[in-house]
Parts: sequence; C-alpha cells; structure tokens
Amino acid sequence: MKASLRVAVVSVAPIILLPNVRAQVTYERVLNASREPQNWLTYSGNYKSWRYSTLDQINTSNVRHLATQWVFQSASLGQFETTPLVVDGVLYGTGQDNRAFALDARTGRAIWRYQRHLPEKVQACCGMVNRGFAMLGDKLFMSTLDAHVLALDSKTGNVVWDVQAADYRQAYVFTVAPLLVKDKIIVGVAGGEYGVRGFIDAYYADSGKRAWRFYTVPGPGEPGHETWAGDSWKTGGAPAWITGSYDPELNLVYWPTGNPSPSNYGGERGGDNLYSNCMLALDADTGKLKWHYQFTPHDLHDYDSTQIPVLLDANWQGRSRKLLLHANRNGFVYVLDRTDGTFLSAKAFGNLTWAKEIGSDGRPVIAPRSEPTAEGVRVCPGALGATNWFSPSYDPQTGWLYVASSEECDVFSAAPQKYHEGHDFLGSVYVPASGEKASGALQALDPFTGEKKWEFKYASPPWGGVLSTAGGVVFAGDSDGNFTAMDARTGKDLWHIQLGAAVYSSPISYSLDGRQYVVIPAGAALFAFALAEN
Amino acid sequence: MRGNGLVRGVRFLILAGVVCFPMACQEKMNPLAGDPAAIKEGASLFRTDCSPCHGLNARGGGRGPDLTSGLWIHGGSDVAIFQTINQGIPGTEMPANSFEDSETWALVAYLRAVSSGEHAPVAGDRAKGEQIFWGKGQCAQCHMVRGRGGRLGPELTRVWAARSVAYLAESIREPDKELSLGMTDPNNHYVIPMEYETVTAMTHDGRRIIGVAKNEDTFSIQLLGQDDELHLFLKKDLREVVHERRSLMPAYTEQMLSKEELRDLLCYLVNLREE
Repeated sequence: MKASLRVAVVSVAPIILLPNVRAQVTYERVLNASREPQNWLTYSGNYKSWRYSTLDQINTSNVRHLATQWVFQSASLGQFETTPLVVDGVLYGTGQDNRAFALDARTGRAIWRYQRHLPEKVQACCGMVNRGFAMLGDKLFMSTLDAHVLALDSKTGNVVWDVQAADYRQAYVFTVAPLLVKDKIIVGVAGGEYGVRGFIDAYYADSGKRAWRFYTVPGPGEPGHETWAGDSWKTGGAPAWITGSYDPELNLVYWPTGNPSPSNYGGERGGDNLYSNCMLALDADTGKLKWHYQFTPHDLHDYDSTQIPVLLDANWQGRSRKLLLHANRNGFVYVLDRTDGTFLSAKAFGNLTWAKEIGSDGRPVIAPRSEPTAEGVRVCPGALGATNWFSPSYDPQTGWLYVASSEECDVFSAAPQKYHEGHDFLGSVYVPASGEKASGALQALDPFTGEKKWEFKYASPPWGGVLSTAGGVVFAGDSDGNFTAMDARTGKDLWHIQLGAAVYSSPISYSLDGRQYVVIPAGAALFAFALAEN
Repeated sequence: MRGNGLVRGVRFLILAGVVCFPMACQEKMNPLAGDPAAIKEGASLFRTDCSPCHGLNARGGGRGPDLTSGLWIHGGSDVAIFQTINQGIPGTEMPANSFEDSETWALVAYLRAVSSGEHAPVAGDRAKGEQIFWGKGQCAQCHMVRGRGGRLGPELTRVWAARSVAYLAESIREPDKELSLGMTDPNNHYVIPMEYETVTAMTHDGRRIIGVAKNEDTFSIQLLGQDDELHLFLKKDLREVVHERRSLMPAYTEQMLSKEELRDLLCYLVNLREE
C-alpha cells in the first residue's frame, strides 16, 4: 500500500532537469572541444593534441594555494596511465587490469565501476595498462588488453558492444585511448615486443562493426612491402599504441607507429621496414594512406615513434602552413607539413649518439658504431628514449612545446632470435650504461629552432606528461611521485606535492561550480586539485 | 614497442628452494644438454628474460644471484633448475615463467655451459675470517650479519647465496669497481636502483654530511650518514649535493689484508650458510 502510494506521488511530480545534465557528447562538441574548457572531451584535449586548457583561474600568482579536493582509489596497483574524460560534471576513467569507472567530478565518488574479465595469458610487455576512453553520445569506448574494443554505457558501465580485433594469444594487445572521428572510433594495436603485425582499426561507434583496417606492415603486393627482407614482414611489429590527432579540414588522421620487430636485431629484416617508426596520415573515412614520413628507418634501438603528433597552423619561413610537431623518442623534435608530409626540420632536444643529424632529405645520418653488437654498444638515448608516449603540450601563449625528457644511455646488444608465437621477440637486450646516472627534465622548446627555453630537472627519467594552461602554469608529474606546477615562461617551481608513487600519465583540467580542477593519477589513485576555498 | 621496458622488469630470479615433485625427481636429464644450438638459444633467452635480474652473463645482478658459481641453493639437478625457472620460488622475487619446455631446457643447457660445475669450497680458516670481520677488518662497522653490525653497507647474512667468491674478493679489493645496488622503488617500474655511491650534503651553514642516499628526488634527499644516523633534507635547505661514483668502503689492499687473510674472510662469508 505504501509502495503504490509512493509511485502515485512520483508519477504526478513534475520532471525537473538538473542544471548539469546536458545533451550527449556529439562529434561537433569534440570537434570544438576547446570551446568548452570546463570539459575534457578527448584524450589530448582537442584534435590538435595540444593538451592545453584555456582555463585560467589557477595562475602563476595563486597556484601555491592548490589543495587536494578528492582522491579516488582504483583498487589496483601498477601503472595508472589513464587520461580521464570529463563531461558535464562526470569524470570517466580507465584503470589497471582494464578497470573503468565514472565519478562525480565534484566529489570523486564513484557512480559505477567496471572490470573486464581478462584471460590469464595476456602478453602486455609493459604493464596491464590502459590510457583512457573516447566518447560519443552516451557511449564510452575502450580498447582492452585481450585485443577487443568495447562500448560501455556511460551511465551504468554496462557493455553495449564488444568486438574482437585480434587474437591475444598471438600477443596482440590494446592499451591505447581510442580517438573518436565523426561516427567512428580509431584504435591502434600494441605488441611490438612480440612480433605482431601492427594495424590501425576504425569501428562504427553505434554498432562496433569494423569500418577499415590499415596494416602498418604492408603485405605482398602492397607498396612498402619491398622494405622487408624475406618473410620478416610477417613478424614486423610496427604497432600503433598511442592516440593520434585529426585535421577536419584535410580529413586526415595522424597516427604514429612503433618499432620494427625484433627491436634490437635487424639482420633478418633488411630494408627500411615501412611503416615502422612513422607518422601516418590516413583518410579518416577509408583508412587509406595519404602520406607517411619515417623518423627512424630500419630502427635497431627500439625508438618507437609512438609520441603524440601536435598540429599547429603557423607561419613557416614566411609562408602560412599546416604543420605537425613531433618530439620523438629518438631525440629529435620534428616539424612536418601535415598536408603532404614534407619534412621541414628536425632539431636534437636530448643527448643522442645514434645519428649525427637529420639530413635535408629527412633521413637520419647514422653515426658510426651505433649498431647493436653481440657484445653490446653504448648508444644514446637509451631504448626508453629521449621522450616516450606520455604527452607533450603546446601552449599558444608562449608558442613553446613542453616535453618531458630523459637523459639515459643504454648498452644495446643484438642476437638472432627464433620467433615463437606469443613470446618475446627482441633480438637480445639493452641495459643501462654502467656507472651512469639516468635523470630527466621537463623542457620548454621552441619547436621551430629546437632552442631550449628552460628545463626543470628531474632526479629520475619521467613517465608523466604535461598540461599547459592559460593561467601561465604548466603541470607535470615525475617518476619520483612529485606533481609539480611550473611557470610556463621560466620553469620556476611554483607548487608541488608528493603523491607517493610514480606518475605514469599526463594531467587534465576541467571546471565545475566555477572552480578549476587539475587531475593526475599516481599509484592506484586519481588526485584532484583546486584552489583552496578559503 | 617497449613503451616502457619489459627488459627491466623482473622475469627470472633464482633465490629459494625448488619443490621436488615425485615424478620429476626421477633422474630426468636435460634432453638438450650440451647441444650447441640449444645453448645459443638459451643464451638469447637468458639475455632477454633473465639478465635484468641475474646480469648479462648470469654473474649476478642487482636483484638476482650469480648463476655461474655452481652453487644451486634450490637444487642443482637439471630437473630442479627446470622447475625453478618454470615455477619460480615462492617468497622471493623469482617469478614463475611461461616458457615452452624446449625453451626452459635450452636455458638449463646455457646455465650449465656458463656455470663452473661443482661449487668449490674456499680454502681458508673460517674462525680467523670471523675474527677479521668483527675485528681487524672493521667490516662490521658498516655491514650487518644476523642482526649485528653497521648499516651503511649491504647486509651480508646471505651474500654467500647472492654472489660468487670471485665477486666478493673483487668487492673487497676494489669496492669502487662495481657499486652495489640499493633500493628499487616498487612504484617506479623502470627506475634504475639506487647505488651505494658516496653522497655529500653541504648545508648553508657549512656542515658536510657524508653517507649513502637511501632515496632522492628533485626536492629532497634521505641520507644515511657515516654516523649511522638518518639525515633528511629538503634540497632548498642545502647549498649542494655532491654525488661521487665511489664506495665509502676502503679498498682493502694486500698491505691491509694479506692474501691469506682475504681467503679467511671469504671462507667466513661463504660459510655463513652453515650457521
């Protein structure tokens, strides 16, 4: 009786829309993500991948008053690599072991949690990690460690669709945050340690049906196949495990690729090994290759080019051009023309010994005695690179590119290795050069001249990326567990906090109730900071 | 790819005992024993999967013991080594592995090829060595054995399992040659472990504190000083932090420690096993 009475009361109550309930995420919203800085709608903040927030409530003069607002525990250790999305007061993140969650972005309280049941023998070279969601409508898209792509319902975390992209038993793995473009989501596979054949896939967001696939190692008869000796293409690697960028005018997706397999030994994969270590420009609708540029042909040092491509329209030597900036793991920061892939410049931003320079033809001039040998040879940067997958940031106020970098050299050895499906396929090993102390820095670079404007030294090589903001503050986490706010123009440490675990992600910012938040994961936790209210 | 380096991950550590299964305990031999191709494959696998902990040539690394000494703490039969590789050692950092059987046998073949066979006893006087350790040698000022001794250098109760006699001898004569590794941050999967190098912190008021760094980041340093005390500093309160690639341990030359005394000391350390 009581229950039915309550139903009756509810049924006549007027429907009140809460003020923060908005329309669903549309492609147009993602396209114009920079117009709604209160949200964070795509992995790198916008399609140009600037990881720049126009919010300026937190600025150089008040950032010292930052205070923790909430902490969310993902309940799983390991590297917490997510870049959360924030949409109209709800924060959506992925965690270790293919966990996922939605939080009240004001309090950090969970709305739902999800965890994928993974098979036992997933081969993730570098941790059971995931870097985040893409979103369209009321669906969240996530790639999984067992090589599936999922759509989750944004209000419940329920699985809407689930498609298998590849066979995890052959060491195909996804860790990437998908990129939404129009009605499709795009993902790239990982597995360069295991001799996979890399690919980039697009799936229709509504159904999960595959729209196209681009193999990053061309098969027989395809252009580029001739850059692989014998059957080496079959286990050629060239994975694509970091999120690309998109130019809506050119309708091109820019997606970087990783190392050829086996990474250290090239004796059986003679040739340039296309399209390993490339920037690919793919037609967003068809996946057809428009152009490619290879940063490190026939790589022998594991220099994946899986770093975020930053798109910029600027004057280049007196001419307005559509540019692509790329701070590469091999130690050079590149400028390309993104309409056709024309090489414009490459400047060293770290200590490197593998190449003397990048020639005017865009090919590296390889230094003598840099090829790995049976005994081992010391080469800089080390295999983990002058930088790595963690995000750079472009700040339009300074015009500088902020890049977390490592100072580390390795001894690379090489040996032939028999391929076994699903097993490591490295062609020997690299180890840190004996007696050398590795370190790192956050660098502010003039991307055109390569000039270092400032650097903030880290005690250890970093695994955390950068956020720049209109308040003139850049935020970055380091491997020693510090989350630091620096003056974008000087690199001065304005505020920092010890989070208790290495940071393996890049920060984001959003606003709610008129307050700007900055969010960073570390260890098993997600931390949210804002200016103290008093 | 290796966005992050698997090679630096823990893959292969042999530290503790192997469970002997009734079937496996029969005298099963390595089917690939002595096979040159298998040894080569084993060497390649070892480099990729085992060397991060056990060192490039199996002579011990920061986390795993020397595997060339002929001392097999957890069973030295082919089957026992096979089991150790496959199943790991519970309670230690040695994980289970998922090699094909043929790969595991190739690893065993490789280890046999680089190991010195029987673990030779050290000729020397253990009692005299013990006296040197706790007395004349002043080793106990910085090293601890079974809860007694100093803290500045590595704890040595189980050093007999971790390092070969040759390595120990070298460390005594030339401690700067290869600095021992200290703490690894479990939250930082790719970091190189801290080393026992000499660190000097200089304060603004002119004090100099010399010791080893237990930890350090951009903003702070945690030192264990030669006074056996912890010194915790914010770097902004320091004038300078100087790192020197040398050990705080003196090099024990023949004048300080004769050949015979060195043998005695080694005999003591190796025979800590028996205590």
